Amino acid sequence: MSKVVEISPTTRHEGHSKLVLKVNDAGIIETGNWCSITPVRGVERLAVGKSMEQVPKIASRVCGICPIAHTLAGIESMEASIKCEIPRDAHLLRVILQCANRLHSHALHNILTLPDMYLPGTDMKINPFSPEEPVRSVAKRLQRIREIGQTIGEIAGGEAIHPSNPRVGGMYKACSPRAKTKMYDLAKEGLVLAHAQMEFMIAILRNYQKRDWAEVGGAKIAIPKDLGYHSQGYLATDPVYGSSSLDECPTWDYSRFKESRPWDWYMGEMEVSLEDPKYPVGGTTKMGTKVNPQMEACTGVPCYDGAPVEVGPRARMVKFKNFDEKGTIGQQVARQMEYPDCLTAMISAIDEYNPAAKVVADYIPQGDGSMGWAANEAPRGTDVHLAKVKDGRVQWYSMLVPTTWNFATCSAALTGAPWQLAEVVVRGYDPCVSCATHMIVIDEDNRIVAQKLIQ
Amino acid sequence: MGAELGKYKSCVSARSTDKEILKGAQDGGIVTSLFAYALEAGIIDGAIVAGKGDLPWKPEPVVATTRAELLAARGTRYNISPNMSLIKEVTRSYGLDKVGIVGTPCQMQAVRKAQLYPFGLREVGDKIALAVGIFCMENFPYQSVLQLVEDHAAMKMESVKKMEIGKGKFWVFGERGQVVQLPLKVTHKYEQPGCHVCLDYVANMADISTGSVGSPDGWSTIFVRSKIGDSVWAKAMAAGCFETKPMETVKPGLELVTKLANEKISKNRKTLEERASFGTGKGLRNPYL
Repeated sequence: MSKVVEISPTTRHEGHSKLVLKVNDAGIIETGNWCSITPVRGVERLAVGKSMEQVPKIASRVCGICPIAHTLAGIESMEASIKCEIPRDAHLLRVILQCANRLHSHALHNILTLPDMYLPGTDMKINPFSPEEPVRSVAKRLQRIREIGQTIGEIAGGEAIHPSNPRVGGMYKACSPRAKTKMYDLAKEGLVLAHAQMEFMIAILRNYQKRDWAEVGGAKIAIPKDLGYHSQGYLATDPVYGSSSLDECPTWDYSRFKESRPWDWYMGEMEVSLEDPKYPVGGTTKMGTKVNPQMEACTGVPCYDGAPVEVGPRARMVKFKNFDEKGTIGQQVARQMEYPDCLTAMISAIDEYNPAAKVVADYIPQGDGSMGWAANEAPRGTDVHLAKVKDGRVQWYSMLVPTTWNFATCSAALTGAPWQLAEVVVRGYDPCVSCATHMIVIDEDNRIVAQKLIQ
Repeated sequence: MGAELGKYKSCVSARSTDKEILKGAQDGGIVTSLFAYALEAGIIDGAIVAGKGDLPWKPEPVVATTRAELLAARGTRYNISPNMSLIKEVTRSYGLDKVGIVGTPCQMQAVRKAQLYPFGLREVGDKIALAVGIFCMENFPYQSVLQLVEDHAAMKMESVKKMEIGKGKFWVFGERGQVVQLPLKVTHKYEQPGCHVCLDYVANMADISTGSVGSPDGWSTIFVRSKIGDSVWAKAMAAGCFETKPMETVKPGLELVTKLANEKISKNRKTLEERASFGTGKGLRNPYL
């Protein structure tokens, strides 16, 4: 008979989320529901009536991990709506900024995910804050990679968190020749470190793949060979940057996207019937507690061609580099393989960048209310912002962020895994939950429903 | 009073040994020489200075990363140059790691405040490598200088060669040799009111502060205040950038500096007290009390 276990909150990722899992007698997940419980931010409502300059800056405040992705997607959705082409060098600065964001975010994810992994040849889990070698030098390398990413972000974007430099029509400031050299030197240094970090992480991940068990809350849990496998499709718009409705051949199609309500997707009201007080940290939810994922989930379920898809590093690798490894470890390996990619892309953008060139468009139209969208390949997946701008004011705004795409896909990937390893699967997606609490639900006729949740 | 000159390690009268710098300098060419030396020695990558703006005698903060750019910014323009406005950008799109900044006492306070409470100034404070303060009695908005020069001194801004405040007068020197002196009581009403609450005359918060008061013409008085200031000054002296005279041997000497500092402080304290009781029972917040 199946039992219900709830892990709330999940840990070592951004935002608040929880797992409600229906498991069989052996503790293997039959149905997994991973839901965001971060309250809705209301950015999309706040945006209406604001100027097109303001909205992307407000939108970036939805989260502090990939504000760069939100700023760029926000600004480019405005540009797509008003049909404004930006100068080449402004685009190059944005590419540099984008790569800097991905670099420091992936490094941060390493720190969050390493405690699940083991030192090869031992049964010792990795504590990234341990003063012992070899972990110490890895931690220092990660810090330096993050520092490099953030410093380059500061130079190209004005600020590493919530960048101030990007604007509708290009960038406010061009970088000086000196700043260009500084970014180049930092990127070169980063490339060496990133190679080393990628190799280290892949070795650690392969070692986990070979193991038979992992220790969770004092118990030995068998690791299935198909941990995190799912049969959903992949969605990625570009290996590095993104796409927008201004492109000649856009790589995302608005008409193939549809959002459904969480209660069409998640399980209904249940009672927790399995409890493990030893589960880190602080045990799972007490027996007898009522749970209702349908009503508690603060996200919509976006579908592409009618089904949830996976976005993120593996999706980019699958779409553009013929990567074919499945499961949580495959996903993690794909993420590590992006390390050198974001630095080489950054280096070629810096190389091409001309400090003397203009970075703002000569003419910035004010918009006629037509819909524009921009997809940005954030560290954790495709971040699509949609906007309608008329006379410089935003009339409608919607954010379709990476982890929103992944919620339903990851929930499907939980099936077949021991419930104790559910969080390992979740962390594989590098979830960033707070921006994913997006809650505009429309029915078949595109009318907004579920008004009570929006309010 | 006793504290009017702030804390300092040493005080001398000095002038630059660089003839080129002295040629266009306000007094002893101290700030330009100091930054030129610091640039050469790698103490700073560049400095935020008051460069030439789009209007005659209107300063605009610029980032000087070469000696030539420093030389172009020589001399005092008696109105506001918001140098602090560049302090963040200089570490961003300009790509500097070691920043020099020159400013009035209030700007030096802003530098230190930014280092202590870096709100909105992430990764900026530790990049400030040298802060040079200049003596300041009060400052003028550009509109005021325009009025003083064009109305009171009856001279076109473009034809002014140099402006100076000294010996109790506001001096305007013209290109064709005209000299106009305005008594300071004429200029008082043109000062920016914000200056009337400032209790700092000699840039107490700077690493090194300098100004003409106390030293003979063509020389400047120097206060070396912080550890950083001390080490930079010692290195610049060793490199032969400055010639100095002990403060005790020059006229009018430290006495005049002290006198003027006290005058500024006691005058402005009165404004502060007035402001504290401004409005019955709801005095405006007084930042110094």
